[in-house]
Amino acid sequence: MATNQDTEFQAEFSGTSEGIKTQEMLLNMGPQHPSTHGVLRLIITLEGETITSCTPVIGYLHRGIEKILENRTVMAGIRYMDNSDYLSPMLNETAYAGAVEQEMGIEIPRRAQYIRLITNELQRIASHLVGIGTYGMDLGTTTPIIWAFRDREGILSMFEALSGSRFNVNYMRVGGVLHDLPKGWLDECSTFLDKLEKNMVEMDGLLSGNEIFMSRTQGVGYIDPQQALAYGLTGPMLRASGINWDLRVNRPYMAYREVAVNPIVRQEGDCFARYYVRLQEITESIRLVREGIDKLPGGPISVRTPIALRPPRGETYFAIESSKGELGVYFISDGSEYPWRAKLRGPSFVNLQIVPELLRGHKMSDAIAILGSTDIVLGEVDR
Amino acid sequence: MSPCGRLLLLPWSYHMFRMIVADIAANSWFYWLSNLWNGIISWNFLQFVVAFLTIFGFILTSATILVLAERKILAWMQDRYGPLHTGPWGLLQSVADVGKLLLKEDVHVGGADKAMLIFAPAVFMAPVIASFAIMPFSPYIQLPGSALAVGLVFYVAMSSIDVIGVIMAGWGSNNKYSLIGGLRSAAQMISYELPLVLAFVSVIMLTSVLAGRPGFPGQDGIGTLAPYEIQIFQNSAWNHTGIGILDFLFQGFTPWSWFVLFQPLMLLIYYICGLAETNRAPFDLPEAESELVAGYMTEYSGMRWAMFFLGEYGNMTIVSAVASYLFLGGFAGPGVAFLTAQHSLLWGFVGNMLALLYFIIKIYALCAVFIWIRATLVRLRADQLMQFAWLVLMPVTLVNILVTGILYFATSALPTWVFLVVLACVNWAGVFGFVWLVRRVTLSTTRHAQAPAIRAQLRAKPAVPAIALRDGVPSRVALPAGTAASQE
Repeated sequence: MATNQDTEFQAEFSGTSEGIKTQEMLLNMGPQHPSTHGVLRLIITLEGETITSCTPVIGYLHRGIEKILENRTVMAGIRYMDNSDYLSPMLNETAYAGAVEQEMGIEIPRRAQYIRLITNELQRIASHLVGIGTYGMDLGTTTPIIWAFRDREGILSMFEALSGSRFNVNYMRVGGVLHDLPKGWLDECSTFLDKLEKNMVEMDGLLSGNEIFMSRTQGVGYIDPQQALAYGLTGPMLRASGINWDLRVNRPYMAYREVAVNPIVRQEGDCFARYYVRLQEITESIRLVREGIDKLPGGPISVRTPIALRPPRGETYFAIESSKGELGVYFISDGSEYPWRAKLRGPSFVNLQIVPELLRGHKMSDAIAILGSTDIVLGEVDR
Repeated sequence: MSPCGRLLLLPWSYHMFRMIVADIAANSWFYWLSNLWNGIISWNFLQFVVAFLTIFGFILTSATILVLAERKILAWMQDRYGPLHTGPWGLLQSVADVGKLLLKEDVHVGGADKAMLIFAPAVFMAPVIASFAIMPFSPYIQLPGSALAVGLVFYVAMSSIDVIGVIMAGWGSNNKYSLIGGLRSAAQMISYELPLVLAFVSVIMLTSVLAGRPGFPGQDGIGTLAPYEIQIFQNSAWNHTGIGILDFLFQGFTPWSWFVLFQPLMLLIYYICGLAETNRAPFDLPEAESELVAGYMTEYSGMRWAMFFLGEYGNMTIVSAVASYLFLGGFAGPGVAFLTAQHSLLWGFVGNMLALLYFIIKIYALCAVFIWIRATLVRLRADQLMQFAWLVLMPVTLVNILVTGILYFATSALPTWVFLVVLACVNWAGVFGFVWLVRRVTLSTTRHAQAPAIRAQLRAKPAVPAIALRDGVPSRVALPAGTAASQE
């Protein structure tokens, strides 16, 4: 009560003698807004152009994916994972299939593991490309997004050749993958990677060295390493704050036990660092795909699983390093064909939590820069 | 207007009607008609009408062409096709767009300040057309009147009126995004007008230094504000040689004495300010589409929106035109002065058309740079924008004026060309110095902004705990030495 009176007192008497007061402005950004990456709604209080408080409102894209998973058999559920983080369906499917395999104690064939590695890394590239491209768009230039989508197009058409679908691939299976690689697919993949590597150099030159881009992003939205840990951030958000944590290294799964990953870590903790970690992870993923192609073993692509797939009674947690961070599936089975519960730990959802704290005190333009640097996908936030 | 307001107008219109009738009754019909007719057929009035229609047509055409050019050039830079299906190679895309905009409903927002909402596009558009009054398109195609003599002042005055239209739109729309956009643009356009004018000052100083010197027109020590005369100052450094082909090429076209060579830094700064004045990237904060949806244009649709759009592109054209007049020799080009000096109707016409062609080529070349910049640069933040105008551009232009003056006094005993060469050397050095300065300023501001991160790094090692593995899964693979992971 006392503080209220104080602020009122200040508002009334610190201004000019005519009693002109400044007023805070409540601005509703979203759910229909060009740069809230989908249907996020931010309720922002503005003092001039400075943000005094921010409340994100989520749920506009809620489709009840977790509930749908409970009502589908395990194999049928994989398809619904595509729609969770719709920019990286391969990774989502891998997480779900991996959780079921862990529950059932299946060790998938090495060839399937490597195919998963290749597709996962390609998917990571595609997701990061969208992240970088839209980040350029948020900051007011159109070229990066067009270039990024041009490159992403190559990955999507490769997925189409692989699974028959560009977007909702429905490619992973419990115990392996659906198809073997088509003839000539690996050559096409290598050619594409060579081209992509050149294009990424171009993209780096366009954005990273640009003075305006640097002054817009460097030092903006600083996340302290401890703050990052406290908020449970994962993925590029965490690694940009100087914490070396990558599930592919720290808790390797599938083919990552054999393929060494160099995690990209930066110390600055600002928007530029987060952008740059993503850019460098693309290069690292290109290297990983190449290594995967080199090491790709022969043999079966899947273990035989019964048609009526009944995971044993019990629960398990399986997490992979998705493009946004730790994508975990908490899988509880009651022994039937349907999962009793499948809880997703969406990295976007967790990473979004720090946004209100980051925005406070920044300018309104910075709000877009910070939100873009978190690289959230509302499909995964709302699920 | 409310029905009540319309009723109030009735006595007034009745009064006007009575006045006209009384006027006609007092004189004869013939007297009244002939008065009117004489006013209309007077040479000045006709010239004005023709010039206005020409300018208006030019702006509209130029805007549609620029829109298409922008889409095509952007597409080319971004590795895509751009408009393809409307007409051959998508050439009719702009026509289709304009047709669509004309047919669209003109939506008026509820709760808006209606008068402001309706008049804002006109207030934005009119000064753009008006500023073309100072632009000679060729030796003969230009508007008569006194606006030409005070050309640059008139242009600056007109471009400051623009901002009122933007604020009106921002306020009248009853939309928070529009309001923020309008206020941003007010701050931005006013701030960038100052370095823009100061960049003009250096050019005007140059003309007053050159006036009356051998080979240059004008009275000793009296410069000029008129773009046409500034153009003559840049293109009069050719003496008749009598060799036909050289005379044809270089009479009235002397690129080695264009002001861009003596004041390149001012061209750079003028161009930057022009970007800010026209609200183009990287200074497009007022309409920042990723933050403010469409800024002050958010609530507009149909032709009112198109007027803002046309105004923006018209602004682009006029900024480029002024730049070409002040620094790039205006409409001068090979053959123009030679042909118009022939005193024959046909050659004079050809010369004028050539001049028009050169002028338009220069305008569009500069506009292409606008588009190129839009494809490359990201948007500035509001405070960085202000910082750049007041802390970088203003001091640089002021210092440039001072340096120009000091150089003039230092070399006043020597021939003019010494002054020009020294000025050119200093100014070109200034361009590189300016680029260095901007880079330095950026670096220092980002370092300042990164300070918490740097401080955290200094005390980082013990503060950030090592992450323990969650269970006994064998985790770390052996990595090759020297990789990022093994450093940690």
